[in-house]
Amino acid sequence: MDDRQNRMERMERMTEKENWIIEARDVSFSYEGDDKKALDHISLKIRKGSRVAFMGGNGSGKSTFFLCLNGIHRPDSGTISIDGKPVRYQRKGLLDVRRKVGIVFQEPDDQLFSASVYEEISFGVQNLGVDEARAKQEVERVIEELDIAPFQDRPVHALSGGQKKQVAIADILVMHPEVMILDEPASALDPVHTRKVRGIVDRLADQGITVLMATHDIDYAYAWSDEIVLLHEGKVLRQGTPDIVCADREALKQAGMEAPTVLRMYGCLREKGLFADGSAAPRSMEGLLRLLEQTENRKG
Amino acid sequence: MLLIDKLCYRSRLRYVNASEKLLYAAATLIICIVSRSAATAVPVFLVNLALTVGKGGIPLSRYLRLLLIPAAFLAAGTAAVAVNLSETPMDAFAFPVGGWYITGSTEGARQALTLCLTAMAAVSCLYFLALNTVMTDILGALRKWKVPALLVELMLLIYRFIFVLAGTASAIRTSQVSRLGNRNLKTGVRSFGAMASSLFILALKRSNALYDAMESRCYDGTICVLSKEQPAKGTGIAAILFYEAALLFIWALAHRYAGV
Repeated sequence: MDDRQNRMERMERMTEKENWIIEARDVSFSYEGDDKKALDHISLKIRKGSRVAFMGGNGSGKSTFFLCLNGIHRPDSGTISIDGKPVRYQRKGLLDVRRKVGIVFQEPDDQLFSASVYEEISFGVQNLGVDEARAKQEVERVIEELDIAPFQDRPVHALSGGQKKQVAIADILVMHPEVMILDEPASALDPVHTRKVRGIVDRLADQGITVLMATHDIDYAYAWSDEIVLLHEGKVLRQGTPDIVCADREALKQAGMEAPTVLRMYGCLREKGLFADGSAAPRSMEGLLRLLEQTENRKG
Repeated sequence: MLLIDKLCYRSRLRYVNASEKLLYAAATLIICIVSRSAATAVPVFLVNLALTVGKGGIPLSRYLRLLLIPAAFLAAGTAAVAVNLSETPMDAFAFPVGGWYITGSTEGARQALTLCLTAMAAVSCLYFLALNTVMTDILGALRKWKVPALLVELMLLIYRFIFVLAGTASAIRTSQVSRLGNRNLKTGVRSFGAMASSLFILALKRSNALYDAMESRCYDGTICVLSKEQPAKGTGIAAILFYEAALLFIWALAHRYAGV
């Protein structure tokens, strides 16, 4: 928790210009032949180096917004700025954006085009135009870093869902993005691989990469993120620290979500007269247990 | 198809340089077909058997079963060469049927046998390549051999998506069967049609999604990837050339002294 506090403070101290890596101003987008707006006047800013959870039901606009950040979709109106510069929609400008912002797609089979793990990972870095020796080095570094070595010689179609996800992350990481977007990285993964992927994501965030993650797991978002963006029907319902967003029960309800389990438990215990001293709400089960122990010790 | 793919990943010759294997298979195949001679076909078949089963470690029973597939086609094809329907009987055999004969000549039988041997030897060359070389390595070698990029990229995508679509198809089929979709011929045909059409739509969607994902990684029209390759060995290539020369020599000898 202290770690998060420090990071937030450090980010606050940064100058305005360096501070925002992504800025969306009044962005609207609708798919061809659709009357409904997939994104409806979205405005938000993302701090450099922060961990942001994007939450909202299916069709709330998370994936569409992500594709806009990467220049795959061009907003019908409004502007998106990456690192202070508005996205320019020609070859050079798009290349620039895509170099900075990488997306790990939700379905690995939609992303992995090669049957060879090594070829697959080398694709992105080769497109950046670095020389072959350097590219090789990068690919091998990522294979090492993400524990892909044990299955790197197997064909992609023989990998498990979790292994495919690891390769999908490696695909992007090899390009050294400043922003890494993960679209529901834990969907369809077993608990072991979910932990593994989350561990990787944490390591990336610790390296200073800005991480945007779509998730339906509010307990995880509450514990992990610096900020939560709550989307509903293409609009931003709420954006703020997990404490602020999760305290807004109305907004959560509108998005079809419940408050984090640990927060609800804390609320119940508080009502029963425990923690009367105005202690801050814990972020995780471990935090809640610690708080309980402290209260007990004080009583004892 | 899927079996061959599984076997090649387990082959002990998998990590031999793909260009060497491709060169060996292609050159031998060409000699087999051009010579059309039992004198080259028999040694080629035996050498490929030894390489694939002995060195590559592909189980013999699997290998023989795979050979049965082309053998069935071959039997039908060579029967047409060996057996004739004619009004006059020929020298090898003749069965009267009404006023006609089902008959064959010794020359025809010899031709059929040569055809059979050549075809099996040619197939064994292809099996050597397919059972000991991973598809992506073959593509890497083709890229090196300056085969047009478009062709190689198409092969790359098709190969990858065979497995994705086959997985989807089998999932759809399972869900149909679990709802009695194959109760009788009529429902079976209807289910198959429904699966084929939804598979087509899914394939389109998939290709769109894949294109987006590739674009997001700065794709600009050509797929360039690095392949992890074992370098080709000079000794390997020399051995292949020596072997091919020996085959040509055997063919020349047989042609001159035995006329085959």
